[in-house]
Amino acid sequence: MKHLSLIALIIAGSTAYSLAQSAAAPATSGVLRPRPPISGDGLPVPRSAVIRTDSLLKVNVTSQGYNEHLPWQKESPGQRRGLGVVIAGNRVLVTGQMVADANYIELELPEGGTKIPARVVGADYEANLALIESAQDNERSKAFFKGLAPMEVDPVAHIGDTLAIWQTGRVGDLIVTPLRVAKILTSRYVLSGTNFLVYEGQGIVRSEANSFTLPVVKGGKLAGLLLNYDSKNQVTTVQPGVIIEHFLKDMADGKNEGFPTMGVEFQNTQDDQFRDYLGLKPGQGGMFVSAVTPGGTAHGVGVQKGDIMLSINGFKIDARGDYEDPDFGRLSMSHIVRGRAYVGDKVEMLVLRDGKELPLSGKLIRKDPQTQLVWPYLFDRGANYIVAGGLVFQELTRPYINTFGQEATGSILRLAHIAEHPEEYEEKGLRRIVILSAVLPTPSTQGYERLGSLIVTKVNGVSIKDLADIDLALKSPKDGIHTIEFEDFPHTIHLDAISVERDNISLLGGAYRIGSLKRIE
Amino acid sequence: MKRHLRLVPLCLALSSSLAIAQAPIPAAEPPPPRDRSQAIDISSGEWDNIVNIDVSMVIPDYREPWNAGQPTGGSGTGFLIGKNRFLTNAHVVSNSTRIVIRTTNDPEPHPARIVHIAHDCDLAIIEAVDDAHFEKLNTLQIGDTPKLNTEVSVIGYPIGGERISVTRGVVSRIDFRPYSHSGVDSHLAIQVDAAINPGNSGGPVLQDGKVVGVAFQGYNGQVAQNVGYMIPTPVIKRFLKDIEDGHYDHYVDLAISDFSIENRAQVKALGLANDGKGVLVANVEPAGSAGGVLKEGDVLLSIDGNPIFNNGLVRVDGDLMDMNEMVERKFSGDEVKVEFLRDGKKQTKPVKLQRFIPYLTLGEHYNQRPRYVIYAGLVFQPMDRNLMDALQIREPTVNYVFDNYLNLKLYQERPEVVILTNILTDDVNSYIQPYQQNIVDEINGVKIKSLNDVKAALAKKGDKPDFIVLKLLEKGRPLVLKRSLADEAHTRIMKTYNVTEDSYLGND
Repeated sequence: MKHLSLIALIIAGSTAYSLAQSAAAPATSGVLRPRPPISGDGLPVPRSAVIRTDSLLKVNVTSQGYNEHLPWQKESPGQRRGLGVVIAGNRVLVTGQMVADANYIELELPEGGTKIPARVVGADYEANLALIESAQDNERSKAFFKGLAPMEVDPVAHIGDTLAIWQTGRVGDLIVTPLRVAKILTSRYVLSGTNFLVYEGQGIVRSEANSFTLPVVKGGKLAGLLLNYDSKNQVTTVQPGVIIEHFLKDMADGKNEGFPTMGVEFQNTQDDQFRDYLGLKPGQGGMFVSAVTPGGTAHGVGVQKGDIMLSINGFKIDARGDYEDPDFGRLSMSHIVRGRAYVGDKVEMLVLRDGKELPLSGKLIRKDPQTQLVWPYLFDRGANYIVAGGLVFQELTRPYINTFGQEATGSILRLAHIAEHPEEYEEKGLRRIVILSAVLPTPSTQGYERLGSLIVTKVNGVSIKDLADIDLALKSPKDGIHTIEFEDFPHTIHLDAISVERDNISLLGGAYRIGSLKRIE
Repeated sequence: MKRHLRLVPLCLALSSSLAIAQAPIPAAEPPPPRDRSQAIDISSGEWDNIVNIDVSMVIPDYREPWNAGQPTGGSGTGFLIGKNRFLTNAHVVSNSTRIVIRTTNDPEPHPARIVHIAHDCDLAIIEAVDDAHFEKLNTLQIGDTPKLNTEVSVIGYPIGGERISVTRGVVSRIDFRPYSHSGVDSHLAIQVDAAINPGNSGGPVLQDGKVVGVAFQGYNGQVAQNVGYMIPTPVIKRFLKDIEDGHYDHYVDLAISDFSIENRAQVKALGLANDGKGVLVANVEPAGSAGGVLKEGDVLLSIDGNPIFNNGLVRVDGDLMDMNEMVERKFSGDEVKVEFLRDGKKQTKPVKLQRFIPYLTLGEHYNQRPRYVIYAGLVFQPMDRNLMDALQIREPTVNYVFDNYLNLKLYQERPEVVILTNILTDDVNSYIQPYQQNIVDEINGVKIKSLNDVKAALAKKGDKPDFIVLKLLEKGRPLVLKRSLADEAHTRIMKTYNVTEDSYLGND
């Protein structure tokens, strides 16, 4: 048993670590983190910029995420301050990051300092966009918006265009920084796996208090929102108007369908030896399909692993995976689906399979994060959990895995691997991965305190496919004993059912102050 | 909170001996004489049988496995236990290219060589090439396990001077502890509060003139104070018995993990008597000694008739110790009788003890040339701890497989995981550069289960004989090389990158 005793220690160590960490480092809300502060001096205002300050509002948000390890508990509240842009219907556009996990949102007039409370109309955290409006439909709200004028969205900017980044100083003075678009490409927004169009420019953006969301303007129209400023390399990244326009159109019916995805993994075909192997003709474009996500658009359309994707919606794809976009020039093919089309639209693809061209068609879909085996992100709510006698069961989420960061070893790498490759568990019929995330020391859990991050397979003989299954199974202990089974070490533990009930009552009020023993939403 | 406090082996590395050259601190008032203190007359040759071992070594290069590696040096202690037989730590003489021994009274260096080396218990036997100088010296006798709170002296050649040194303390604790040299082994170890410092490694710990341990590891001073460890005599005696036949056969292992039964509901559910006996079998390695005999969920009641308590301890020589101590003293091929409860019925079965090879993958290796195969600039190496430490691979799949090699029993499908560690850039492989540091699943349709499979698989002609096709684990795109171009590039790359041999597969 040389090494195995060490494994037990590692498991225990990581739980203890995670609990300690969450206590010591609050105020991290999952994947969404405030960007580093903006610093530097402004450049002279370009004369071409038309300045409309009557579309600009200060937005102040108090946000509070849930603790990933003690999910009944919230972290310490934090403040985010940014600028919102007034658009039609007295609604205000901000980035998704601004309103994630918001407890209280207020709008403030930059000059007078008048404030009104606001609420979220809809948010798309993948596209990092949100719409907010006044929390009340009353005279105060009407008066607030009276002097404000909506701004239009300009969906297209070109390389070489000069845009203006808007900031406000302490007394509402407008600070304008020019930004020359140097590159247009697709890049990750805030969450992993979210590739969208961005404008990239070189230059310095100054550090101001209200910089969490900043509008980027061209000729009096909204050209984008500032996504990121890298002060070290002085690179500014902007979420462009075309994605904002998509979001606003999507939100027109009050419901956010989101952006469609392909659900495939591509590899380029530039390598001559690989091309020969695939039987590609010289000069022929196309991308090698290296994986197809079950339940995604491509899967539904009939794309198979090993196909060569030649074109999508009539746009020819080259060997690097780029196409000629009528608005933006050469771009990654992902924009064809993400930026130029909507969920539910018809999609047409041409693939090369066994040396023959094969036209395929179907509907564009977006894989709903709610239906995924591992929650990809979680905002404005905490993870589903059940506390039973001190055992803490949770549905596995990415934010939970992410709390381990670089320290992840053994069982956490395993959970990360499942999040990345869920197929094996999906095929078993699992809707969620349920883990024993922590053990609170109680009389019922004596001897189990060091367990954590274990995948639960059965409770009282019932196979567990999601957290609701555990809730139900815990109602039927056998001979007064609960039996919990895990995928691996230590495989099976037992708890006294009466003791669990007793401990549940003391957990609700006692040292842990658990407000509710479960959340299943 | 990280549970790993890094134990430091106490061999004096060359570099550290330079770094620690500080201004000497004035000696404090000498402590009042104790009953046991007794003047030693070095000039009489009394401690001439305790020698300084000076070692030149080469640390293997796992990044460029065809290179010899980095020369370095170190120093430790050893002592005479038989005719021209010096006992020391394995880590003192690991990776050595030259060993020289010196006594405190003799300026002459005497070349020496390794006779036996046991990395799993950090012990080694070395001998002088010419033993004439040591013939007349007395040997040190190996004693028993010392009692708690009794006084011991540590003798050796630690940092802080050239001549022999002695420090004194008491036996603080006797426990089953990890041995840091291999990184995966745990055995009985004795903690003493006598100062044990770099260079003390391999030196004797004496009580009443007999050896009661070999000083071998301690903590970095920032972690704990006055905590030094010695290898106790049961481990030393086992090693000496094991090599009696001229060959070291390694420790054997049940290859199970246990889980303490502390919970009353667990006692009830498992149908145990309320007598504090029995520990849960929480994991069984199918390829290990107990595979096929014990099952997960069994309750282990006794080993060789010695009852096991709920926390996995047994009483050995009057003291409570880890139940593995019952197996620790056995040898390869020996049997133990395990009594266990399964489905409410008691059973007793013999377990034939053997080594559990997959542990080796996770442990540190020494005195081994890194194994590799290189073809057309593609470097293939087996996944083991040395490689993982040297390469610091970030690829999640590789880390996942390494960290779960045992608990997911991945070794069953892939006894030796082969990694495409590096691609030496050339026109032939330029496009596949981004795919280095991935696990090789198949080559030309052949599943790769060990490095020895690679050469034959590369030569095999698959469905498309003009191509060499590599499938990487969890990567959807095959790596493809045109055979004719790759063969041609191979010679060119070997020459350009100064690679002298295109493979080293070990000498077994």
